[in-house]
Amino acid sequence: MAVNNSVLIIGGGIAGIQSAIDLANMGFQVCLVEKSPSIGGRMAQLDKTFPTNDCAMCILAPKMIEAGRHANIKLLTYSEVLAVDGEVGNFKVSIKKKARSVDEKKCTGCGVCVEKCPWKVNNEFDLNLGQRKAIYFAFPQTVPKLPVIDREHCAYFLKGKCRACEKFCEAGAIKYDQEDEIIEVEAKAIIVAAGFDLYDPTPLREYGYGRIQNVITAMEYERLSSASGPTAGELKRPSDGKIASDIAFIQCVGSRDVRSNRYCSSVCCMYGTKEAILAYEHQPGTKSTIFYIDLRAVGKRFQEYIQRAKDEYNVTYIRSRPGNIELNHHTQNPIIWYEDTTTGETKSLEVELVILCQALIPPRDIQEMASILSIELDEYGFVKTPDGLSHPVDTTRVGILACGCVHSPKDIPDSVVQASAAAARAAEILSGGT
Amino acid sequence: MTLEDIIKETKTYYCLECGKCSSICPISRHNPSYSPRLMLEKALNGFEGDLINDQELFSCLSCYNCLLRCPADVDYPLFMQKVRALASAQGKYGVPAHSGTLQSLMRLMSNPAIEQRRLEWLSDEYRISEKADILFFVGCAPYFESVLDFKTGALDIAKDSLKILNALGIEPMVLADEKCCGHDLLWTGDVKTFRKLAEHNARIIKESGAKKIIFSCPEGYRTFKFDYPHYVDLDCELQHITEFLAENMGKGKLNFKEAKKKVTYQDPCRLGRHLGVYEQPRKLIEAIPGIELTEMEHIRDESICCGTSAWTNCDAYSKQIRTERLLEAKATGAEMLITACPKCQIHFKCAMVSKGEERGPDVEMDVMDIVNLVASALGDNGSE
Repeated sequence: MAVNNSVLIIGGGIAGIQSAIDLANMGFQVCLVEKSPSIGGRMAQLDKTFPTNDCAMCILAPKMIEAGRHANIKLLTYSEVLAVDGEVGNFKVSIKKKARSVDEKKCTGCGVCVEKCPWKVNNEFDLNLGQRKAIYFAFPQTVPKLPVIDREHCAYFLKGKCRACEKFCEAGAIKYDQEDEIIEVEAKAIIVAAGFDLYDPTPLREYGYGRIQNVITAMEYERLSSASGPTAGELKRPSDGKIASDIAFIQCVGSRDVRSNRYCSSVCCMYGTKEAILAYEHQPGTKSTIFYIDLRAVGKRFQEYIQRAKDEYNVTYIRSRPGNIELNHHTQNPIIWYEDTTTGETKSLEVELVILCQALIPPRDIQEMASILSIELDEYGFVKTPDGLSHPVDTTRVGILACGCVHSPKDIPDSVVQASAAAARAAEILSGGT
Repeated sequence: MTLEDIIKETKTYYCLECGKCSSICPISRHNPSYSPRLMLEKALNGFEGDLINDQELFSCLSCYNCLLRCPADVDYPLFMQKVRALASAQGKYGVPAHSGTLQSLMRLMSNPAIEQRRLEWLSDEYRISEKADILFFVGCAPYFESVLDFKTGALDIAKDSLKILNALGIEPMVLADEKCCGHDLLWTGDVKTFRKLAEHNARIIKESGAKKIIFSCPEGYRTFKFDYPHYVDLDCELQHITEFLAENMGKGKLNFKEAKKKVTYQDPCRLGRHLGVYEQPRKLIEAIPGIELTEMEHIRDESICCGTSAWTNCDAYSKQIRTERLLEAKATGAEMLITACPKCQIHFKCAMVSKGEERGPDVEMDVMDIVNLVASALGDNGSE
């Protein structure tokens, strides 16, 4: 099968979706490739967005649906780019469409297969805090509304027995023998919107992640506070399921640190504040302490957001990067050691739950992607855009553009703006400009 | 070297003033007037006088906790070492422990006219060579034994090191005119005397023809490895005795008899965080049949310092640090605390010697150097 689409977009997060919709609305053909089973990306995992506390999914879902049913957008989910040949105006791209083990044409998205599947496995969408089935939807609002069989955990694939999903599927859509497909696509320009991964704080042993149960990451916290998350939005701490009412956030975990990533991840001051506000909204009276070095509240209405957190949501900010976290063995509470740099005192604070505001890092497969695309990366592994002033979304290869967090860590509004910029630049190329 | 040079050399310019150093500093946790971050800020703001006159300037243990965790890679211990040199050039010193006897000894040693009887303790029991590839650098442990007013066990470290080397069939050189490595003088700012000692040691070692130097003291090892190259030219392979033994014990020469004991291990700052030797001492302890190693809560690069360095500014806070560490050691249920540095041993033992009326929590437990443990477990091939 060969489809002739004019722009290939790699990554179906908010940036890729925005570029796709912009270009499609201009009348161009778009092929949007996403490696996971659904578009939506990281934003789908978030509960709310700053600085308005809008529900992330309520903003994202309409865009996902628009991208999913736009006549000019071809969605290729659960798919990966294998090779890119040619040049600007004439890229030839091979894409592997992985087997979902579900017939897309027959499946109605009813979900009975998921309901009846007897096998539970850890749910990566919830950072393994909850479980999903071996046949599953990536998350409730997934686009396309198609389940996928996780062949590594499906009993039929492992042991040759079960077939429960097939038995209950009235549409006859289960296809165990479905194979990966290679799809060739032609594109005049390519937009890389591959997003980011999250820094794993385990190597910063002083913070006890992985050792102290009640030290969690910010993304884990997002899932805990999400109504569709593993605790249905209750902030149950891992050690005993108790709802934490005295919590602390540590900024710059894996950011602004020569031992991990030197750069500022740009969003943590704000998402930390948002998460503290959410904690209070979920349980009024919750006390939050945010440890920071420099409070970077540079967006529109961000400073006011922080002021509101202080005034209305019981959030205290302490200027310090804590040295280590110890464990109170009796209460399982983490004890944070820090120097209050405004007074010079070194002291400790015992709280019920610590949230590590982990860095945003380049996607873990970025090197491979860069070599497939023949583009250069910067010193941190983000996509290099050498002419940051005049052509801020142009990579080192003509006709390949980048936007969103794969370019550098940024928040949702900035990703959307940059995505529109990349769409405009692609349109320029497609219209014969350079 | 000016303060500005020091700021450049130690990368203090990159300081984010985040306070992570103070947060993890064992001194800051107890002593409210000590903040490494504030020391750096004073330097960055040009308050040289304040910095040099700060009595806490000599409180830093150079334990490397801050250096290992600093997000900006500022070398605070080196900053301390260098600023102390500035201070001592202006006649500012810390408060010496043990009435300054040890510092006096070190300075006396730098005088070539004074002859030492450094190897008085060496009996026929131990076999040494006039000429050999391997040199055992004894260090000052035997002096500590005679200067301090309680049983330190420091001399036994020297004796047992030789005993073990002999058991391995090694008859090392030991130098009668070896002098203090200068570690403590360097870290309290007396660079002039340090240089004299370094030059002397480098000269006699070169003359000895040694190819490899083995240390039982991590301070000497660190000083030879990291500091000597800036002052003298000495080209020898350097090893801590635990590294040497861990490497050679498998060659069938060390036979251990069963020793039933539950022990725990203190990573000395210099051997651990400075030199990265964490595995070998553990490997050695675990090679002795019957010995059970139970670890403390804070180990390896998270280990807690014994509370004083360079015989300076040893105070109530130092004692608090030691007391807490000993309680941590006791909490493991071990009967014995093993260290690999004579000073750790001395400091822990000192914390158990009750002085005055105040007697704090019960911190009594056996403390022993790792070479004593190994020597006591030697079977038939040992010299006993």
